Amino acid sequence: MREAMSIWFFAGVLFLIYGVIITAEGFWELANPPAHPPVLFTLHPAVWWGGMMAIIGLIYTVRFWPRVKR
Amino acid sequence: MPLEFANNLHLFSPSPALFLEVSGKSLAHLNSVDVLVIAVYFAIVIFIGFYLKGSANTSEEFFMAGREMTAWIAGLSFVSANLGSLELMGWAGSAYQYGILATHWYWIGAIPAMLFLGIVMMPFYYISKTHSVPGYLHLRYGDGARALSAVSFAFMTVLMSGINMYSMAIVMKVVLGWNLNFSIWVSSITVALYVALGGLRSAIFNEVLQFLLIWLGALLVPILGLIEVGGWSNLRQQILTNLGRSDYVHLWSTLGHFHDNPMGVHWTGIVFGLGLVISFGYWTTDFLVVQRVLSAHNLRAARMAPIIGAGFKMAVPFIVILPGLLALSVLPFHLVGETQAVATGQHSYNEVLPLMLVRYCSPGLLGLGVTALIAGFMSGMAGNVSAFSTVWTYDIYGAFINKKASDKHYVAMGRWCTFVGVLISVGTAYLVQHAASIMDYVQALFSFFIAPLFGTVILGMLWKRATKAAGFWGLLAGTATAVGLWLWVHFDPSALRYVALSADAKAMAEDMYRALWSWLVCVIVTIVVSYMTQPKPEAQLEGLVYGASRIPEEHDDHWYQKPIIWAGVIAVLFVIVNIIFW
Repeated sequence: MREAMSIWFFAGVLFLIYGVIITAEGFWELANPPAHPPVLFTLHPAVWWGGMMAIIGLIYTVRFWPRVKR
Repeated sequence: MPLEFANNLHLFSPSPALFLEVSGKSLAHLNSVDVLVIAVYFAIVIFIGFYLKGSANTSEEFFMAGREMTAWIAGLSFVSANLGSLELMGWAGSAYQYGILATHWYWIGAIPAMLFLGIVMMPFYYISKTHSVPGYLHLRYGDGARALSAVSFAFMTVLMSGINMYSMAIVMKVVLGWNLNFSIWVSSITVALYVALGGLRSAIFNEVLQFLLIWLGALLVPILGLIEVGGWSNLRQQILTNLGRSDYVHLWSTLGHFHDNPMGVHWTGIVFGLGLVISFGYWTTDFLVVQRVLSAHNLRAARMAPIIGAGFKMAVPFIVILPGLLALSVLPFHLVGETQAVATGQHSYNEVLPLMLVRYCSPGLLGLGVTALIAGFMSGMAGNVSAFSTVWTYDIYGAFINKKASDKHYVAMGRWCTFVGVLISVGTAYLVQHAASIMDYVQALFSFFIAPLFGTVILGMLWKRATKAAGFWGLLAGTATAVGLWLWVHFDPSALRYVALSADAKAMAEDMYRALWSWLVCVIVTIVVSYMTQPKPEAQLEGLVYGASRIPEEHDDHWYQKPIIWAGVIAVLFVIVNIIFW
C-alpha cells in the first residue's frame, strides 16, 4: 500500500516531461536552426529553460514519489 | 466596460468583449512538439480527476476537499483561481495601453485585502465552520441575506463562466486559428470531467499546476525582454523616447488629476474605490477565492494561505505588466484598439502577450506558453463550477428545497451540478456568440454584488449590534444603488461627473466610484436598520463576531511561524515596491 500521490509529485512529473521534451527540441534546433528563428535564439533558451525544468521536475518527482506505507 | 472580466474577477481586467472581433488571421502556428506539450497537459489533468475520485465520497470531501489542504496548496490555489488567461492577456494589453498604472490592480488592488483576510477575517470564516460565504451570512444574519447572496452568486458565476469560455475560444481562434466549437467543447468536457470526479480537491490540484505552468510559460518573456532592451533603466528611457511622455512608468505621481494620466483615474478612486472597496469585496467575500482558503487543514494554514497568496500576487506584474511595457519598446509596430485593429488589420492591445511569446519562443516553449493560457482558462472555469455546485447544493438546494437529504444525496447533487453548471456555461457561450451585448450586461450585473456584500460581511464580523434585518436590507440597498448608478450613467453619460466626481473620468474610474457609493449605502443602511431593530443575544454570536468569539490560540514553535510576522513582511515589501515605482 502506497501513500497518496501529492500535488507536488504531479508537478514534478509534469515538469520532468516538459523539461525533457523542450530540452530535446532545443538540442535538435542547435543542429538544425530554424529558417525564421525567434529573437535571441542565439541564447538557446529552450536548452537551459528546458534543462532547468527537467532538473527541478526530477528532484520533485523523486522527493515526493509515493512511498510504501509501513 | 473596459474593466470587466474572467473568473468572476470583475473590475480586475479588461473586457473579454475586446476580443469579440477577430481579424481572421492567427498569430502563431504550433508544430508537433507544441501539440505534444498541450496533449500531455490534458492527459495529466484528466488523470488527476480519475485518481482523486476515491477521495471525494462525502460532502466534506467533495465540496471542501476534506479540509486537508496545507497553507501552501490553499495559498497557491487561492491566488491561482484568480489568475486566468484573460486576466494575463488583458492586463498585459492594459500595460501596453496605460503603462505601469495597470499594476495597481495587482498591488493596492489585492495585497492589503489579502492580508486583511488572513489576519482579521479568516478566524471567523474558519471557526464558524461555514461551507461558504452565503453560509456565513446565514449564521450571522439568517436566511434572507443568505438567499440574496447565494442566488446572485450561483447564477452569475455560471453565466460568467460561459462568457469566459466564449472569450477564451475567441482568443484561441485569434492566436492559433482554432475552431470556436472545438475550443468550447474540449475545454468544457475536460473541466466537467475532472471536477465532477474529484470535486474541490481536483480543482485545487489543477489550480496549483496551472499556477506553476503560468510562471514557467510566461516567465521567459520578461527575462528575454529585459536582456533585449538592456535592463529596466534602458526600458524606461526607451518608453520615454518612443512615447514622449513619462506617465507610463509612474505608479502614483500622475494620479493628482483625472487628465494627468492615460487611465483617467484619480488617486482617491484608486485608494478608496479600488484599494478599499472593490479589492476587499472581491478578495474577502467572493466565494470563488474564499472557498480555496476554507479547505485549509487548520486555522493557522487558513490564515497563512492568503498571506502566501499575497506574496505571489505581488510578483505577478513581472509576468503580466512587464511584457506589456517591454512591447512598447521592442515591437517594431504599434498596437491599436480592437475596433481599429479589425478595420485596418493591425494587431490589437490584447494580442500583446501572444505577440511577445511568438517573438521569443521557439517550438516547445511556444507550446508551453499556449498550455499556460489554456490551463489558466480551464482552472478559472473549474473554480467557477466548483463554487457554483457548492453554493447551489448547500445554500439553495439544501437550505430551501431539500433540507433533510442524506450526505450521499448531496454529493450526487454536487456532481450533477458540476455538469449542469458547465452546460449552462456552454449555453451562455453560444448565447453571447449571437448577442454580444449580453456579455456587458451580465458582467455589470455580477459586479453590482461585490462591494455591498463586503459591507454586509465586514459589519457582521466586526460589529455585534448588526441585526438580521439590517444585513438583508443593507445588502439589498447597496446592490440597488450600484444598479441605479449604472443605469443612470448608461442612459445619461453626462451623469459621470456626479458618479465619478469628474467629467474627465473614464470607465475605470466610474467602476471604482460606483463600488464606493454602493458600499457606503450598504454600510449606512445596515447601521441605521440595526439601531431600529433588536440585535441577537451575544451568546448566539459566538464564533461569528469580533468581541463575542474566542479565537483559538495558535501554538507556533517559533516567532517566524506566526502569520502576523509574514503579513508584516509582505506589507513592508508592498510599501517598498510602491515607493520604488512612485
